[in-house]
Amino acid sequence: MKPDIDRFIDVAASYLMAQLAPTLVSQYDQSNVTILGVLLMAVREEFERAAARRIEENQALRRLFAEAAPVVQAPALRQRLDEAAAGTEASLLVADLERGNAALRGLLIDLHAHVEGLTAPAARRIEAAIWQELVASTERRRLMMGPF
Amino acid sequence: MVEELTVSGLAANLAAYIRHRLPDAEGVEVTGLERIFGGASRETYRFVLSYHLNGQALSRPLILRRDPPGSLIETQRAVEFEAYRAFYGSAVPVPEPLWLEEDAHWLDYPFFIMQEVQGFEANPQLIVLPPYAEHAQRFAERKWTILGEIAKADPAALGLIGVMEPVAPDQCWQRELAHWEKAIDQDELAPQPVIRAAIRWLRRHPPPPAQKISVVHADFRTGNFLYDTEGRIHAILDWEMAHLGDPLEDLAWGLNPVWRWAHDERAGGLVPQDEAIRIWERASGLRAVPEALHWWEVFSSVKGQGIWVSGAKEFTDGKNQDLILALSSWLMQNSQDRAVLAKLGYLS
Repeated sequence: MKPDIDRFIDVAASYLMAQLAPTLVSQYDQSNVTILGVLLMAVREEFERAAARRIEENQALRRLFAEAAPVVQAPALRQRLDEAAAGTEASLLVADLERGNAALRGLLIDLHAHVEGLTAPAARRIEAAIWQELVASTERRRLMMGPF
Repeated sequence: MVEELTVSGLAANLAAYIRHRLPDAEGVEVTGLERIFGGASRETYRFVLSYHLNGQALSRPLILRRDPPGSLIETQRAVEFEAYRAFYGSAVPVPEPLWLEEDAHWLDYPFFIMQEVQGFEANPQLIVLPPYAEHAQRFAERKWTILGEIAKADPAALGLIGVMEPVAPDQCWQRELAHWEKAIDQDELAPQPVIRAAIRWLRRHPPPPAQKISVVHADFRTGNFLYDTEGRIHAILDWEMAHLGDPLEDLAWGLNPVWRWAHDERAGGLVPQDEAIRIWERASGLRAVPEALHWWEVFSSVKGQGIWVSGAKEFTDGKNQDLILALSSWLMQNSQDRAVLAKLGYLS
């Protein structure tokens, strides 16, 4: 669609924050309109990467699960990891990718808790890989205007 | 479902309530009622109360804090009101609390009324800009001295035993961690692998018992106090999460990287962290043992995430459509994960 979404949002956010907000009498309304503008800027940033970051992360998690499964001592967890590692995206709609991502991240929590209780060097290697992925996942979600 | 009062309806009901509380007053009027930003757990309104008493015309700017249908944090209004009452007139500047009303029939929800401390700024992002920024050292001295005074205060002498739930020095950390883990369990809309890892770390590395049981403000940070252009702090606000506990909880919360409004290493956008700790130690007479403070700093991100995910759930469920909930949830959840990763040494 033209104009591009990011251009539309730039104009809309600028109108809300720079033109509309200062004309409002109520401080509360003024603050809310400004917040709406800031939210739109965050929407702009997230819209552009919404599918890409989820696909990238889901693939990274499946690779991690494939690497971790042989180290896992609990058969039921190993089976879940094997099944998840063999999965693919059934749909590229953001809502579908998000559902898949939530399932994979839930499994990541279970895997992390499990390997923390193992003593083998291979478990430490998987644990380090999990922390790397946690850092990467946090960077994927980073918003420019976040405070830290 | 309560039909929401209009502002004029709210003003009329508020005037009726105040007539009830001031039976000798004549000509009670509520004017200029408007909603303002003031904490995410209660609706905050400012208004001017005017009346005649014994032939004298009186007028006073006041604040109404009313429970909303949903909020960032579930809190007890009585505890917040009593915290204001306890510290009013002390070395910890707070507005004068006037009336607490638990009966919802007056304004549809419980509420309390307190003095409005007028003419000062609260915005956390402005304190790091001119004309305030040049007073960063003075702000820091006041901010962490006041927090030290809160830590030093005797909860029994303040009349807060019985108002706030008691806790043993070696149980503070467990109670707080359990509370916020439960909030995340109940309210998370998506798995939180970073915070779950932090929670397990906290359980594996318990802190030493609290040096003393203090009043914990629990949201003591830049943004929750009123300041002026000369580096002075005039009121500490938003006591909605106040409780008894380890005073290091308060110190660590204010040091959390998500409050670094200047986007540099300075705590609260004001001074280096070591300097903030030194001021607090001097004022409180307590010591911020590094290992214990580190535990509470990691915990502060778990608590932060508990607040943000709860806000996200309230907004998503439609219980509270305040846009600040959406904004804080979006902006803060990722920053909070980054903060805890940095504190655990995984992010530089």
